[in-house]
Amino acid sequence: MSSQALTIAGRIVRQIVRDRRTIALIMVVPIVVMTLIGLSFPQSNMLDNIAPALLATLALFFSFLLTGISFLRERSQGTLERLMASPVSRLDIVVGYLCGFFIFALTQTLIVLFFTIYVLDVTFHGDLWQIFVFQVVIIAGAVNLGIFTSTFARNEFQMIQFIPLIILPQIFLGGMLWPVEQMPDYLQWLARILPLTYAVEGLRDIMLDGKNLLDVGLQLSVLVGFAIVISVVTAITLRRGSIS
Amino acid sequence: MATMAEKSSSRLAVDVNKVSFSYNRLKALNELSLLVPTGISFGLLGPNGAGKTTLIRLLVGLLKPKSGNVLILGQKPSRRIAHLLGYMPQLHSLYNELSITQNVDFFARVYRMHNRSERARRVEEVIRLVDLWSRRKDSVVKLSGGMRQRVSLACAIVHNPPLLLLDEPTVGLDPELRVTFWAYFTALTRQGTTIIISSHSMDDAAHCDQLAFMREGEVIAVGTPHELQQATGQPGASLESAFLYFIHREDSSHV
Repeated sequence: MSSQALTIAGRIVRQIVRDRRTIALIMVVPIVVMTLIGLSFPQSNMLDNIAPALLATLALFFSFLLTGISFLRERSQGTLERLMASPVSRLDIVVGYLCGFFIFALTQTLIVLFFTIYVLDVTFHGDLWQIFVFQVVIIAGAVNLGIFTSTFARNEFQMIQFIPLIILPQIFLGGMLWPVEQMPDYLQWLARILPLTYAVEGLRDIMLDGKNLLDVGLQLSVLVGFAIVISVVTAITLRRGSIS
Repeated sequence: MATMAEKSSSRLAVDVNKVSFSYNRLKALNELSLLVPTGISFGLLGPNGAGKTTLIRLLVGLLKPKSGNVLILGQKPSRRIAHLLGYMPQLHSLYNELSITQNVDFFARVYRMHNRSERARRVEEVIRLVDLWSRRKDSVVKLSGGMRQRVSLACAIVHNPPLLLLDEPTVGLDPELRVTFWAYFTALTRQGTTIIISSHSMDDAAHCDQLAFMREGEVIAVGTPHELQQATGQPGASLESAFLYFIHREDSSHV
């Protein structure tokens, strides 16, 4: 990683850490959400079954939300414009933001993961570290998706509109609520281009069937591919001469 | 091999040749040409919507002209020469949660001041210059508008750029601060820095070495404040009346 990207990542971390209320919310919100979800399931084996899908979805949702809104603020405050006028390359900007936001997205995801396993006492198969690696890949894509989506929003209201557009279809079509195979063909086809579908499948295989990362190689590569493609596209859309 | 033309254009801080720009269907600049020599303060004066901000963003390289050419210190605007420019956008454009020092230091790093002790020294120097050393640890959110404006200036000049592009740097400043800002600017031009300032205030105009009056995406007059006042033919004319004189002259020539 270049020193410029590291400078940007460090600045993002400092910025969020200095804002006490934000850092508190980042920690508390996942715990509150997980407590409510845990309490709402009458039978614990139901929770066991839905836990993988829940972990995948919350990782996507929290990371997307955090990054999308933060990056939009950079745009509306004019700090992004200032950065674009500087000698920093757009790849450094994207990598810097990815790393900076990744730390907080990862914190939230880990809180959800540990809370699910140790407090809600969800039984699972497979190794914890493999679940963790899989989650990291989901977050990397989601963080970039947040940055990318904020390119199309000119203000906070518009960004809020993108949340249901990007997140809800994935929840309904991604196999969290009912199996993808039971949906009509054209919806299955649609589900196959959504990253959450692969995230849910992969985590289910690991947590419910005790498979390892090699077994879910297809899902893992699709998610890695998604993360790479979306960061390249983001770097391209961030070019100089395109700010308006 | 540098030709004569290239050599002479490298003496220019800015060489804008018949540049047009439009936001979708809204025309912002109309075949605008402008030459700015190095080492002076140059004012872009005009009402809102005259195209001042658009012109500055073109010079910085944030926008690309639809037609025409822009040369900055003899080169096309690009990331390669970005370190030669200091840019202060119209918005404060600061990281609100960070302290003054953290903001200035961040931009020093972004502008490749890699040497730690040299950077620390320079960061202190510019924060003292804008007279905020006692507040250096405060978050930007806690600062007044005028203070933020000063931090923003510190961020723009921290890497010692030979060309400064300041978009309405004096808006919202009280008269005392405006005088202080002009004292900085004069000191900088004495060291050889070229400063381009956009403003709609005639107070600023009087301080500039040279001025361009802008209206509706065009430059309607260029000269020193004195020359522009003289052109009206009325001794002791204010810059305001000089501006109005050129607008009327422009309007009647179009009829």
